[in-house]
Amino acid sequence: FSFFDFLRYKTIKEEDITDLIEEFRYQLLEADVSYEVSEKILEDLKNSLVGKKVSRSEELEKIVLDSLKKSIEEILTKNRGFDLIEEIKQKGKKPYVIVFFGVNGVGKTTTIAKVAYMLKKQGLSSIIAASDTFRAAAQEQLAYHAQKLEVPLVKGKYGGDPAAVAFDAISSAKSRGIDVVLVDTAGRMHVDSDLVEELKRVVRISKPDLRVLVLDSLAGNDALEQAKYFENNVGYDAVILTKVDADAKGGIVLSLAYELKKPVIYLGIGQDYDNLIPFSPDWFIKRIFQ
Amino acid sequence: MLDNLKDAVKKFLGSSDYNKAVNDFIKDLQISLIKADVNIKLVNELTTKIKNRLSSEKPPSTIERREWFISIVYQELSNLFGGNKEPDIMPKKLPYVIMLVGVQGSGKTTTSGKLALFYKKKGYKVGLVAADIYRPAAYDQLIQIGNQINVPVYGEPGNKDAVQIAKNGVEKFLKEKYDVIIVDTAGRHGYGEEVKLLEEMKSIYESINPDEVILVIDASIGQKAYDLASRFHAASPIGSIIITKMDGTAKGGGALSAVAATGATIKFIGTGEKLDELEVFNPKRFVSRILGMGDIEAIIEKM
Ligand SMILES: Nc1nc2c(ncn2[C@@H]2O[C@H](COP(=O)(O)OP(=O)(O)OP(=O)(O)O)[C@@H](O)[C@H]2O)c(=O)[nH]1
Ligand SMILES: Nc1nc2c(ncn2[C@@H]2O[C@H](COP(=O)(O)OP(=O)(O)OP(=O)(O)O)[C@@H](O)[C@H]2O)c(=O)[nH]1
Ligand SMILES: [Mg+2]
Ligand SMILES: [Mg+2]
Repeated sequence: FSFFDFLRYKTIKEEDITDLIEEFRYQLLEADVSYEVSEKILEDLKNSLVGKKVSRSEELEKIVLDSLKKSIEEILTKNRGFDLIEEIKQKGKKPYVIVFFGVNGVGKTTTIAKVAYMLKKQGLSSIIAASDTFRAAAQEQLAYHAQKLEVPLVKGKYGGDPAAVAFDAISSAKSRGIDVVLVDTAGRMHVDSDLVEELKRVVRISKPDLRVLVLDSLAGNDALEQAKYFENNVGYDAVILTKVDADAKGGIVLSLAYELKKPVIYLGIGQDYDNLIPFSPDWFIKRIFQ
Repeated sequence: MLDNLKDAVKKFLGSSDYNKAVNDFIKDLQISLIKADVNIKLVNELTTKIKNRLSSEKPPSTIERREWFISIVYQELSNLFGGNKEPDIMPKKLPYVIMLVGVQGSGKTTTSGKLALFYKKKGYKVGLVAADIYRPAAYDQLIQIGNQINVPVYGEPGNKDAVQIAKNGVEKFLKEKYDVIIVDTAGRHGYGEEVKLLEEMKSIYESINPDEVILVIDASIGQKAYDLASRFHAASPIGSIIITKMDGTAKGGGALSAVAATGATIKFIGTGEKLDELEVFNPKRFVSRILGMGDIEAIIEKM
């Protein structure tokens, strides 16, 4: 560096960016990024910026915002999802089995109907296993969707064994040459050990190609808690985030990628069958910093 | 899990510098509240108020400093939901018409059944009205719930006019001299495409003129709770709140934000999927859950 660099560059000091970081902390927390993850991301950001030489002509705010966006993008890209349709087509093995689970009322059953609709549009056949044999009218709810979508359904009896329903649907898919089996399960609290055991049995017997955790974008810090419990006790491969149309920012996407390295593959954006869109890091960044 | 506050209290006691101790405490209190999903702006308001009190009021010498300290936090939090007492959950008059509203999947239909069972056990003659025309099998769901608890359900499967169904149902039960009439409505959030759903809710409210509108809110809801509840409140004034799914790990700070947004009182909490899993709201237990510390409950219990 020559003497004149002093005029052209300045070094970022911690106190220069304290207020900005504070502002971004607000923004992340308001978007329901979990508290811990917000802290870690901002800490990383601070460390990467303090001591850095930057051009005097650049605005500090822009520098900080750009590096925050870049680091979020990196986190999300590193844990990027995959194209489910490609994945199913490439697998070649029939049927491709997907089990959906999550806590009560997040949108599992509706999401399954949306996925069945999407598969159909892509020329893939599917069958649904109504393995929620507990909740009132869970069977009727799926029967309605199956009929509307003209997708076969294997029903269960209330109080019956959910794993047996999944097993029947998979056998049926095998004998009929159906491409994909979609297993709906009853909503259950991640801390209910009996129900989690039951879910593990459904997963064991289904031998799924994909385990999808369904999360509600309206949930706050607890969404990460749910994700951790399900990961430690059942395990899953991808997340579908619902109710994004409720104006929720979906900060859980970032918490998941940062803490659990889990990708979000689709977003639910309404109650209609076509209200399911693929997730992209870009979408998230725009939404948080709109 | 959240030991911040415990640490904060330790710091508070160990420090000779009172102001520094207060600042440390407030910072940790903020973290606890944020982690519990209390709305960020509300966290700021609350902790500013608490800080002012801690800085200006002197701890009375008769009680332990730590207990005084927690009591201030408790007072400010419980002030939000109407003070340190269990809510009055009995119908103020008969017949009594209740309308349940809330976001998709929050637990309205299940909670309708729970309330029906609760009031039935108290000796009231209870009827349920199924006014959700959107969710597939919403009617069947309420019918099956009604059958489980032996409570009649009014519905008009096929009719696409929720306002009319609600009106017909309430009228029928009134004519038949029912005491408590509970109207289940469709899930909605009211943003974007759903603005018309909020209008529908308002129309139902205006046509049945309920004695109480209950907002059913999921314990896990995050930052959006405040704004959501305000919008609901603007469309049909929320009288009370039921927090569902308290059997999970969620702290319920979102529900606290909804209380702040509406001025409604929390009446019950849902603690499971079964229809008898409904408890009368207990402010002390709730505040200690939000703060994430078991032994706070013991301290508050003494107050
Ligand atoms: N606005 C909106 N509503 C949704 C979305 N996904 C699901 N829902 C609604 O959320 C409610 C619950 O959906 P379900 O599919 O029954 O949820 P679930 O997880 O299967 O529920 P349980 O089986 O009872 O645990 C329904 O009213 C759905 O229409 C979404 O993306 N946006
Ligand atoms: N664990 C637990 N589950 C609950 C509780 N209350 C309701 N649920 C479950 O939450 C899910 C959604 O409940 P519903 O009663 O269908 O919710 P809703 O608000 O009527 O849903 P929509 O009509 O689709 O908006 C179901 O699986 C219920 O069994 C509770 O207190 N604890
Ligand atoms: Mg379901
Ligand atoms: Mg319902």
